[in-house]
Amino acid sequence: MKARSNPLSPKYLVKVFGFAFFAYLFLGFMLMPCLNTLMSVFNTTNAAGERDPWAVIRFFFAGNMSSFVWNSLKLAVCLVITVNVVGVSIVLLTEYFDIKGARILRLGYMTTLIYSGVALVTGYLFLYDSNGIITTLLTDAFPGMNPSWFSGFNAVLFTMTFACTSNHALFLRNAIRGIDYNTVEAARNMGAKPFKVLWKVVFPTLVPTMFSLTVMTFITGLCAMSAPTLLGYDSINPEIVRLAGSSSADEAFPQARAALLSIILAMFTIVLLTILSSYERKGHYLSVSKTKAKLQKQKITNPAANVLAHIYAYVLFVIYMIPVVMIVIFSFQTYGAIRMKKLDLSQWTLINFFGSEDYQYLTNRGTYKTRKGSISGLFANEATLGGIRISFIMSAIAAALACVIVVAACSYIFKNRNKKSGVALEYALLFPWLLPTILICYSYRTYFNSEDVWYVGYNNLYYAENVRLLIILAYTVVKLPFSLRMIKAAFYAIDEELEDAARNMGASGAFTFFKVKLPIILPSVLAVFALNFNALFTEYDMSATFASSYGTSYAMVIQSMCAEEGLYGYNVNASGRRCASTVFIMIVSGIILYLVYGVGARDLGERLELKDKRRKRLERLKARFSRQPVKEEVS
Amino acid sequence: MIRLNNIVVKFGDFTALHEINVHVKEGEFFTFLGPSGCGKTTTLRTLTGFIEPVSGTVEVKGKDITHVPIEDRNIGIVFQSYALFPTMTVYDNIAFGLKVQKEKKAEIDRKVREIAKKVDLSDEQLAKAVSQLSGGQQQRVAIARALVTGPAIICMDEPLSNLDAKLRVQLRNELKKMQKDFGITTIYVTHDQEEALTLSDRIAVFNKGVVEQIGTPNEVYNHSATEFVCNFIGDINRLSPQVVAELNRVGGSVDPDAHNYIRLERLHVNTEAKPGCAVLEGRVDSREYYGLYIKYYITVDGQSIKVIEKNDGVNIYEAGQTVRIVVDPRDVMAYPAQQA
Repeated sequence: MKARSNPLSPKYLVKVFGFAFFAYLFLGFMLMPCLNTLMSVFNTTNAAGERDPWAVIRFFFAGNMSSFVWNSLKLAVCLVITVNVVGVSIVLLTEYFDIKGARILRLGYMTTLIYSGVALVTGYLFLYDSNGIITTLLTDAFPGMNPSWFSGFNAVLFTMTFACTSNHALFLRNAIRGIDYNTVEAARNMGAKPFKVLWKVVFPTLVPTMFSLTVMTFITGLCAMSAPTLLGYDSINPEIVRLAGSSSADEAFPQARAALLSIILAMFTIVLLTILSSYERKGHYLSVSKTKAKLQKQKITNPAANVLAHIYAYVLFVIYMIPVVMIVIFSFQTYGAIRMKKLDLSQWTLINFFGSEDYQYLTNRGTYKTRKGSISGLFANEATLGGIRISFIMSAIAAALACVIVVAACSYIFKNRNKKSGVALEYALLFPWLLPTILICYSYRTYFNSEDVWYVGYNNLYYAENVRLLIILAYTVVKLPFSLRMIKAAFYAIDEELEDAARNMGASGAFTFFKVKLPIILPSVLAVFALNFNALFTEYDMSATFASSYGTSYAMVIQSMCAEEGLYGYNVNASGRRCASTVFIMIVSGIILYLVYGVGARDLGERLELKDKRRKRLERLKARFSRQPVKEEVS
Repeated sequence: MIRLNNIVVKFGDFTALHEINVHVKEGEFFTFLGPSGCGKTTTLRTLTGFIEPVSGTVEVKGKDITHVPIEDRNIGIVFQSYALFPTMTVYDNIAFGLKVQKEKKAEIDRKVREIAKKVDLSDEQLAKAVSQLSGGQQQRVAIARALVTGPAIICMDEPLSNLDAKLRVQLRNELKKMQKDFGITTIYVTHDQEEALTLSDRIAVFNKGVVEQIGTPNEVYNHSATEFVCNFIGDINRLSPQVVAELNRVGGSVDPDAHNYIRLERLHVNTEAKPGCAVLEGRVDSREYYGLYIKYYITVDGQSIKVIEKNDGVNIYEAGQTVRIVVDPRDVMAYPAQQA
């Protein structure tokens, strides 16, 4: 006889509270702000001051608004081609073909994992813009060359092609490693030439992964923000941010136009993701092999092709590595060397990282003037430090919040996976995935910029310091779908018999959750936290959309360094500090990835073994340094 | 000790168990045997409380526990995957149930070490992670964990199915020895007939949610109650009408309308026929070599009959050779045709 739920039992209260919380989260912070944006498209007035719901739509077709959409589409289509070509190349060159120095090459190709977004774009600018190091070198060699070659569409495409291969480097690599080598051998045995094997046996197994990567690349291209902003390309997102900050006094209904553009972006994203998920749902290639053979590197037998492949591999390596190496080197150079774009071995300094110096410069009157502390390091510059601090706090809180919310939700979803409530909760948390982050941020910025929203206590969340809370909320909501996918997978990987075993031994639901399930999923949760933090700490798109001086993120500070360098004798070493910032980001990301994929991936057995090894090493050391030599003991 | 009375379990419209009745005696090693999907694990999970039956009762020591929560049933389980907690050491795995019962630390330590000693786990192994142990050691941890709280009954759900053939045989013997030492009532679920025959005091053979037969290994093997049981347990020959007619010609009383079966080891090649036995002429088709014995495929009256002979180096027959098979009609197991 099952007892009916007692309305005052803790279990029932937790359920009611949980339902209320998720309803509040979904309706209040996902649906309402976005619906408001959708409505605002039709909330326009014409020149006569009359309500005209279709004004912005007419404007779209009459004016130049559609050019932003076309530009974004052009970028997305071209990126799909270039990223796939480079992405597939780097994976084949390091995993499939026998290329000398593949390990080093792989490291080079994977640098984008620790170095992306604004840091990467500014890095490329440092090398390639009209007075960048490489451009200076090239114009010295070829005086006829256009020094401004690195701008607009070409620059964005070039930068994003190399910036967006991280997913290929991770997922396509796993897919190619999952190939059963016996299938390759079988094809060879039946007389297939190496190229035929690649085309007919290897590629078909990679198609599902390639398809997902293609869709994700397309969406990345469509929603590009930092590269077009910094390199000057008129695509949708930078225009949304510009319009969001504009006023109707300057141009026709800028807010409604921003809303329309973000809705268009959302429509594209929804269509693409629907195609992707219906494709994924169909299910496809599954390895039927029970005893998989490890893939062995294929030698390129044609000598000419082999040489060409090696040249191609190392050219790509150089393109990937030059920005990293140059930035690391120049982060230790003085502002003088950086300004001259010439490496000066006598000019090593740590000033771009720590401490500050005064700057003395010659004025027009021929006198010397000193600006106190105008040369300052990353950890001494107030603005930079402020950006790091605020990004650190906001990212850490949001990353943790997303994890806590998703763990609680997953626990419910897992238990109720066959019920409508479980499925509904899962879809609610996946909802932000359908929307471009820019739409969510723009919606927050406009919807909460009033004192009329009752469910946040009639507070204007876009006002002054409140914006930080708004950014944290946006960060959290945007990270929910990724966190859900990862943590849900961890939940599903738990052997159900473990829960049965714990219950059989008398453990309550809560006890089982905290003592058995949580320790198992904890490495995954911490990994998701770290990856969320890593992405948010250096993110630019969202904070730029909020464009508030109270929520100036680290990436925004880095971006602003591009403009302020040496202006009127202020921030003299902005370029150096920018390099140092990139180095700092690379170190932080590197440590996080090491913790996630290195330390975090170890199970209890491996940890105990390591502990044992350390203990033995310590004992040996103690024996060596003890006062009585070991020999005497023996004698 | 355990009584399952008229247990019916349904999953939606599908009836997984139809009126199951099982009575297990105290201290008995009782096996639920059957093919995949026959309901043996469902019956076990009903006994342990993970599944609530639609109707019927579960009694342990005369007490109705049908609606008693899992944790209050005092039944230990060894799971198919062992379900050892990967984030805990061997010690913590075994101590888990005692900690839940809020026993004192010293008492927990004493009990854990005592049971570990009984199942042959060293102190060093107790400090290890479960992933650092071999399959056999993991099984011992699972058994220790199930026994440490002193349950009245222990249930094992195919605990040997994840192991390789040699280890299976070795652990099977260890299991039997441990059960004898502890003297605990054991319910064992398996689809492996050999395992069931060697381990069990009694066996319940399941098929499509119904118990077909309950009996000792000898009863189940030599006196299979149903055609399904006789086919599922061991290898067997179904006799053709011609062979049955020949058996009746020498005085046997085999029902020609029934489905008649005979075990392989009950047939003998080229031996002296005892009174009342029939002799069938046949030709060796092929043979399978098993080391300990050889299985021959012999064609008799157009029917292929399987026979096994001890590999003693004497009775070796080649393909094409003509042989005589001696059959005792009393060894025939007959089942009414409509049952099939």
